[in-house]
Amino acid sequence: MTRETRSGGPTATHCPYCSLQCGMVLTPGRGGRTLTVAAREDHPVSEGGLCRKGWTAAGLHGHRERLTTPLVRDRATGDLRAVDWDEALDLVAERLRAVQAAHGPDGVAVFGGGGLTNEKAYQLGKLARVALGTSQVDYNGRWCMSSAASASNRAFGIDRGLPFPLADVEHADVVVLVGSNLVETMPPAARHLDRCRANGGTVVVIDPRRTATAERADVHLQPVPGTDLPLALGVLHAVDAAGGVDAAYVAERTVGWEDSRASASAWWPERVERVSGVPADEVRALASLLAGAGSAVVLTARGAEQHAQGTATVLAWIDVALALGLPGRPHSGYGCLTGQGNGQGGREHGQKADQLPGYRMIDDPAARDHVAAVWGVDAASLPGPGRSAYELLDALGTPGGPRAMLVHGSNIVVSAPNAAHVTDRLAALDLLVVCDLVMSETAALADVVLPVTQWSEESGTTTNLEGRVLLRQRAVAPPAGVRSDLEVMAGLAERLGAPGTWSTDPAEVFDELGRASAGGRADYAGISHARIAESDGGVFWPCPDADHPGTPRLFADAFAHPDGRARFVAVDHLGPAEPVDEAFPVHLTTGRVLAQYQSGAQTRRVRELPDTGPYVEMHPMLADRIGAYDGEPVVVTTRRGELKAPARLTTAIRPDTVFVPFHWVGANRLTSDALDPASRMPAFKVCAAAVRA
Amino acid sequence: MTAPTTSAAAGPVVVVGAGMAAVRLAEGLAARGVGVTLLGDEDAAPYNRILLSAVLEGSCDPSLLALHPPSWYADAGVTLRTGARVVDVDRDAREVVLADDERVAYEHLVLATGSLPTLPPIRGVVRPDGGLHPRVHPFRSLADCRRLQEAVAQPGTRRAVVVGGGLLGLQVARALAVRGLAVEVVEGGEHLLRSQVGAPAGRILARDLRRLGTEVYTGARATRLLAGPDGDGSVTLVLDNGATLGTDLVVLTAGGRPSTALARRAGLAVRRGVVVDGHLTTSDPRVHALGDCAEHDGVVTGFVPPAWDQAAALAAHLSGETGPHASYAGHRSVARLRATDLDVAVLGDPRTAVGDVVEVTNPVAGSHRRLVVRDGRIVAATLVGDLSRVGLITGHYDRGTVLGPAEPAALLAGDRPPAPRTLADDAEVCTCAGATAGAVRACTSLEDVRATTRATTGCGGCADDVRALLASRPLAPQGGSR
Repeated sequence: MTRETRSGGPTATHCPYCSLQCGMVLTPGRGGRTLTVAAREDHPVSEGGLCRKGWTAAGLHGHRERLTTPLVRDRATGDLRAVDWDEALDLVAERLRAVQAAHGPDGVAVFGGGGLTNEKAYQLGKLARVALGTSQVDYNGRWCMSSAASASNRAFGIDRGLPFPLADVEHADVVVLVGSNLVETMPPAARHLDRCRANGGTVVVIDPRRTATAERADVHLQPVPGTDLPLALGVLHAVDAAGGVDAAYVAERTVGWEDSRASASAWWPERVERVSGVPADEVRALASLLAGAGSAVVLTARGAEQHAQGTATVLAWIDVALALGLPGRPHSGYGCLTGQGNGQGGREHGQKADQLPGYRMIDDPAARDHVAAVWGVDAASLPGPGRSAYELLDALGTPGGPRAMLVHGSNIVVSAPNAAHVTDRLAALDLLVVCDLVMSETAALADVVLPVTQWSEESGTTTNLEGRVLLRQRAVAPPAGVRSDLEVMAGLAERLGAPGTWSTDPAEVFDELGRASAGGRADYAGISHARIAESDGGVFWPCPDADHPGTPRLFADAFAHPDGRARFVAVDHLGPAEPVDEAFPVHLTTGRVLAQYQSGAQTRRVRELPDTGPYVEMHPMLADRIGAYDGEPVVVTTRRGELKAPARLTTAIRPDTVFVPFHWVGANRLTSDALDPASRMPAFKVCAAAVRA
Repeated sequence: MTAPTTSAAAGPVVVVGAGMAAVRLAEGLAARGVGVTLLGDEDAAPYNRILLSAVLEGSCDPSLLALHPPSWYADAGVTLRTGARVVDVDRDAREVVLADDERVAYEHLVLATGSLPTLPPIRGVVRPDGGLHPRVHPFRSLADCRRLQEAVAQPGTRRAVVVGGGLLGLQVARALAVRGLAVEVVEGGEHLLRSQVGAPAGRILARDLRRLGTEVYTGARATRLLAGPDGDGSVTLVLDNGATLGTDLVVLTAGGRPSTALARRAGLAVRRGVVVDGHLTTSDPRVHALGDCAEHDGVVTGFVPPAWDQAAALAAHLSGETGPHASYAGHRSVARLRATDLDVAVLGDPRTAVGDVVEVTNPVAGSHRRLVVRDGRIVAATLVGDLSRVGLITGHYDRGTVLGPAEPAALLAGDRPPAPRTLADDAEVCTCAGATAGAVRACTSLEDVRATTRATTGCGGCADDVRALLASRPLAPQGGSR
């Protein structure tokens, strides 16, 4: 370790959960039996705030369900049996080699997560490409903000969730949140919105539900799930009609306006109303609010992005921002509110099927040469692009598909779309290896389970939703028998005879990551653990060298395309991948609740957090139609599966829509696996469903 | 070329017309690499007719009217010819004949000729030379819109009479009123919007319009246009009930009819419109028709959305594709008035639709809403003066949602107001921390609240509630030991 923790002393670190990465201080009690959480007032993003997930994050410290020994499934009995680490790693390496001997390098797949630190994400991509030589590596971040990522790359030539510090919204005249419920998903972020309002700004929320965030906003538009795209085109149309387009900005800083304009011209507000259910007057009012604003921020989140047209939806909102002349202006712009703790960094350093570290594309010869040199291998030995997350899972155990898979930091059984099908695919594998801290639903299916450290027991960096690289520091020693993911990867690489170095020291791995990212779009070369520890609230990438101050704000002078201009991209609404019909007449949408995080593998085990189980939120009008009562069970059916759960009646949801939270097994047995053509994002946020009492 | 076929991507498609349906078709064909020529008789490049009344009103920038930037057509492989008036179709030679005798050959011909404004029989509107009286304006084309805008901008123009109380008439009336003119509407039928709605809705609408300062004359036909008494060029419109309306402008919006003359002359089957089947094919397999000029299944629509559906289907069909997307099976119509401060939506045909009627009329609020429900489905609806649920009702109508027996009435009622906030001791005040009102009341200060309950440490949204709870806390006993 670079920074030896004093036993019992307080350690400054960050929350293990969402992309806000609130600052917290961990203090172990005497003998390390307990661990106390305090908020860090000095962290500029959270300013002493934490939500109940953060406050209770130490609930997994010393938890009785913590895995502390490798487990191997006994072929004869089907039971998991405790083994020592050498036996487990030998077995995994031997079986991986056997699979690859029979099925080629791509017979083994690697699946990562947006919760992994930068070091682990980087090392996992390297493990896949160098130690295993497989192209079949992807991660659950594909199901998070990938649509915003592909849209930002297209429009701006770079993908950093927020190209400005979150606190910039405090000084915006208007903030538009498209499909974000940040009051529940990242509560301390709401303070910045409140300050925006206190400063006289107007907050607009676009969501099919009147969420806690919508309740806090000045304006709430409530579209049919999956219609944020035509709504954006309608707003663009109305901004244009009202003469609100910043012609000078469009002329000087962008290309492609005429085609986007033509596309939006076909979406007059009454047409938008018919498709989106948002009254035409509300579309016009939003446009007029934006056109009259001196500064404005448009933010998208999963509600807008998790669709078969998610990339196009984000592009449409970026078009709105560009037409108004926002990106690159003070207290203005477009941004994506990333979800997972390291959703940003996790997508930059090579666990994505088509990318190498530094946000380099794997099919770019120069990128391959650079990274191969850092890794000490021949560029020709690196595989090409592989399958995207859902396509990868869909191929498991099929002819030509992978026969073995390593999973780090992902609970696929709960979080994949069309989950029953994905579970079948996992079962078809010859070998499933899962690294986790508890027996998640996915670990429970594994042939080998490897117990790994949790956030308080290891150091590493995350990159928050603003592109701010932060340091999580080890506060306590891991339980005996537990290893870090880096140790697991090094152990496998060694057994597989991989070339190069496989450090288990996060600071060393980070330095190597920095070299691999140097010159790439996400350049970390000038950042080190030591520098972050001494910084005031982290370092923003790009940061190409140690003297570079980091880049809190992008685009003030130029966008990242070679000509320095942003791209308008003309898009059109193709309609839902799975329209409602007679048999499945309501829209199903999914999302999060405040007290749980992602698949719930961690939060459902924290005693202080309410574990309600899934429920079906519906409007009383719909409940009357089907004879449902509040708290009584209802059955939601889609073409893929069925869920029985209590109804929760609320007038806060559209009467044509039901909502199910996704932290428990169930919601994703219902969701659709229709994919976005660019980002390969599944359509989590809308499919056709039937509900009965 | 072999025998005629109705679904071959064999060669150039020629479209008579360059309106919204024609351009949509061209987009679909261009996307599939099929060459297409648009022959538009107007001089302007294709524009969005829907927006003309908003342009007149001044609420839409005229530069937004263009359907595509000028360079798009050539880039997309679309040949656009403006000012090209087609006078004949030579079906034997498979050529169209332009006004200057030029001939353009086609493999497939598409008639997208739109509709023509109906001129009401008012003596004096058409002058002996066949031209319109200078104070009389039709409102159909961009040229009409520009001419009317110029007239409105004349310093002496203060008054306007709109002849026709249909959707277009009301939009134009509101647009002119927003521009500051004193406007009167003359409608020959017994009530406004008589082609769309029943008398109660029409009466509410007339009240709404009068409240906005626009006088409405229903059941009255304009019969004569005379020179006004002031000698300033203003005119007097005489109604058949004896009323005379002095005005500076007369705008004719009294409906339109499908433009079918070309099809008739070419010997194609024509009833009200050019008769087409599900592939938008006329009685000649080489000739198609769509949009306002076409009649499918006995229906002439007159709206853009069905015309675009037809264009999408025809583009697929002409590209050799088959399947449901390559044919047109009719359309659910939604007529939506686009006029400032006048809220009207008409779904289907509420006058003729058969079903149970659920209706709420509120003359106090100036609203009338009527749902026609058959087998649980909304088959038609009228919404005037209150569009608060228009998106939801339109969604149910479009998707054919089967509603429960109480639901239509619930749709016309408002949402129940949220229950008053009760802060019983077990009520959760801070969701971020899961802190209850009781736990907060038990605290002595904001710092105490933060330390013991962690309320206010998350999103900060409960800060006001917490302060109120602390303020209303029973006073701590004074003195004594702690």
